[in-house]
Amino acid sequence: MSGQGGGSDVHALAGAYALHAIDDDGELRRFERHLARCAECSQEVRGLAETASRLGQAAAVEPSPALRDRVMAEIGQVRQLPPLVAPSPRSGLSGSPARSWRGLLAGWLRWRPRLAAAIAATAVAAAVVLGVVTVRTQTGLDQLRAADREVTAVLAAPDARSTTVPAGAAGGTVVVSRSQGKMVFLASGLAALPDSSTYQLWQIGPQGARSAGLLRQDGTGYISPVVAATADGATKVGVTVEPAGGSEQPTTQPLLLLDLPTA
Amino acid sequence: MRPEDESPPEGRPHTGPPGLDELLRRVARGDRGAFEQVYALVSAPVYGVVLRIVRDRAQSEEVTQEALVEVWRAAARYDRERGSAMAWVMTIAHRRAIDRVRSAQAGADRESRAARMDVHRPFDEVAESVAARLEQERLRRCLTGLTDLQRESVTFAYYGGYSYREVAELLKVPLATVKTRMRDGLIRLRDCLGVER
Repeated sequence: MSGQGGGSDVHALAGAYALHAIDDDGELRRFERHLARCAECSQEVRGLAETASRLGQAAAVEPSPALRDRVMAEIGQVRQLPPLVAPSPRSGLSGSPARSWRGLLAGWLRWRPRLAAAIAATAVAAAVVLGVVTVRTQTGLDQLRAADREVTAVLAAPDARSTTVPAGAAGGTVVVSRSQGKMVFLASGLAALPDSSTYQLWQIGPQGARSAGLLRQDGTGYISPVVAATADGATKVGVTVEPAGGSEQPTTQPLLLLDLPTA
Repeated sequence: MRPEDESPPEGRPHTGPPGLDELLRRVARGDRGAFEQVYALVSAPVYGVVLRIVRDRAQSEEVTQEALVEVWRAAARYDRERGSAMAWVMTIAHRRAIDRVRSAQAGADRESRAARMDVHRPFDEVAESVAARLEQERLRRCLTGLTDLQRESVTFAYYGGYSYREVAELLKVPLATVKTRMRDGLIRLRDCLGVER
């Protein structure tokens, strides 16, 4: 129930939100929390905000020429904000309405300083990759957006719990939301593999191992976060090296083994 | 080949003038020349929307200045995955204008502003450029495709700067109705304008 996130009443606020017509701070925050969990809603809000801005553009009026000089003079004295890149372990959550999973990770890390080292490298790489991928194909971009929203939804779930293993060079973090029935796995420090093999993620329980997908690695060795449905009865996740394309069952010893957090 | 082409399709950044997107990227690196170009592209829409809400010209110029300086300050935070550059700028401007009236204006004053607002004729001024005039015409047509309540809910909120509670009070309709009309009104407008999703 809570996984459905408040039902249609919250949903109906999408229009008022795009028009900046919510004047109650509590209500605004509740809606933004809902947005962070609801990929469909944030997409709708984007389209509605775009529409609202068209209303604004149609009302264009030239300001006085003197305004230009005042603005140009003022910017000479205003320091620019740095871009939002990697979450530093000490930074808080940004104030932006639709928070990315990078921002959410920063929030997690505030509470779990020991995990910082393990994830920092992953998060930096992710930020770089997300930046770079924007110039790639539209299909790739759409997939990335969808993946980003899925990851964000799990990290933002109220019941999200995590485990991390900083095991020497290689490490991993798993975040589970039981209410969403999903987990997110982030790896760091895994060596780049030749094209003939791949890392594969497994959920392991009394019934054995079940594949939770392949870890896709780019040329720099960076591995995108993997989202998977939590398997019934699974108590651990593990990573093995498998032939390209993956295997039905693990064929090598796990490089990483993490306990799935319990609720 | 055809240097007079004004709007190159996306993904072909080497033809035609740089778009707002690319200009913001340069602004983020402290490029004042790029900011002047941004100013030329957005100052009229920003001032126009602020003026609609704030009404007073001197105050509207102040708010416009604040909003444009914010564009300079926060350019590096613009994320194209979250929407178009123009929508980002307009969001900053609209929020600033609303902040100004919400903090400054008493209820009675707002009622009288509402009385002056003509939701059937949402634009005060005829746009100067041909492109803007076409856009106005298109929007006007799309707005007539909305029900009265949808149109009033959307335009009171956007051009009047009213919260949905205030709109409900003004129009004497239940809160839930106003919320719903704002949403389905905007959706109908979005589809009519062919806004990308």
